[in-house]
Amino acid sequence: MAACACLTAAVVHWIYRAFPMKKLAIGISVLITLALMAWGYYQAIYVAPNDAMQGEIFRIIYYHVPSASVAFLFFAVSLVGSIGYLASRREHAERAQMFDAWALAGAEVGVVFCTVVLTTGPIWGRRAWGIWWTWDARLTTTLVLWLIYMSYLLLRRFAAGPQMQTLAAVLGIFGALDVPIVYMSNRWWRTQHPAPVFGGAEGSGMDPSMLGAFLWNMLAWFAWGVLILALRYHVERQHQKIAAAEAQAALNA
Amino acid sequence: MDPTAILDHQFRVAAYIVTWVIQLGYLAWLGTKWRAQKRDAGRAGGLDHPGKSPAR
Repeated sequence: MAACACLTAAVVHWIYRAFPMKKLAIGISVLITLALMAWGYYQAIYVAPNDAMQGEIFRIIYYHVPSASVAFLFFAVSLVGSIGYLASRREHAERAQMFDAWALAGAEVGVVFCTVVLTTGPIWGRRAWGIWWTWDARLTTTLVLWLIYMSYLLLRRFAAGPQMQTLAAVLGIFGALDVPIVYMSNRWWRTQHPAPVFGGAEGSGMDPSMLGAFLWNMLAWFAWGVLILALRYHVERQHQKIAAAEAQAALNA
Repeated sequence: MDPTAILDHQFRVAAYIVTWVIQLGYLAWLGTKWRAQKRDAGRAGGLDHPGKSPAR
């Protein structure tokens, strides 16, 4: 997960560096992502068969599970950014700001994907289990994860002063500790949420006729997430530069 | 058509619509924020795109 987070951060950083001068590269990235989304949708609706037990409602998996995976990945990006910020804030101010922008972008886009998980899950659960919500370990730890990162975003929005970024980085690190707990929850405890499809007990896994659609949607949502993350990172870096320019102007006045 | 299948279809469509509303809603908010920031950057004298700064 940490390696994936570093790779994602590297991709985002490359897109960000390319942003001011290589609009063609950005345009191509957007086109590829949109094509992947359309192809993923086609695979999910027209190629993959209905599930033998759940019927069409099972197709929610093609949006629900990739969203959860991307949310976990982006919370890991936020973790790397938070650690990087704390490690470099004294000696390398500019690098620390870059890490801080990563931390914020990862947390915010991660919350968006986690919100998708927490809304599509109950819709699926209502049909599959007959209930919208239950306080089992998987659902509860996911909700706690969402609440931790919402508090992170609210802290960043409303707190002021030089300590805000440090406090946010510490909260970001503690928030990321919930990610492995969410992932392992349906392995450690008996839950209403189904057992893991991948990497679960013997006999777990997905039928090959559905696996292609699932992997295409994983790739599509990952590409979509990286684009949004890159844009959010760019906006935050611009915000930092504007704030620094205004502070300098105020000093000069 | 089987009423169970109709309900399954409606719930699946609802889940897909909710997903896209959340994603596109966030993208729209981010786009608005980005545009406002470009305006601010122009007022501050331009940062990354000085040649395109509306203040110049």
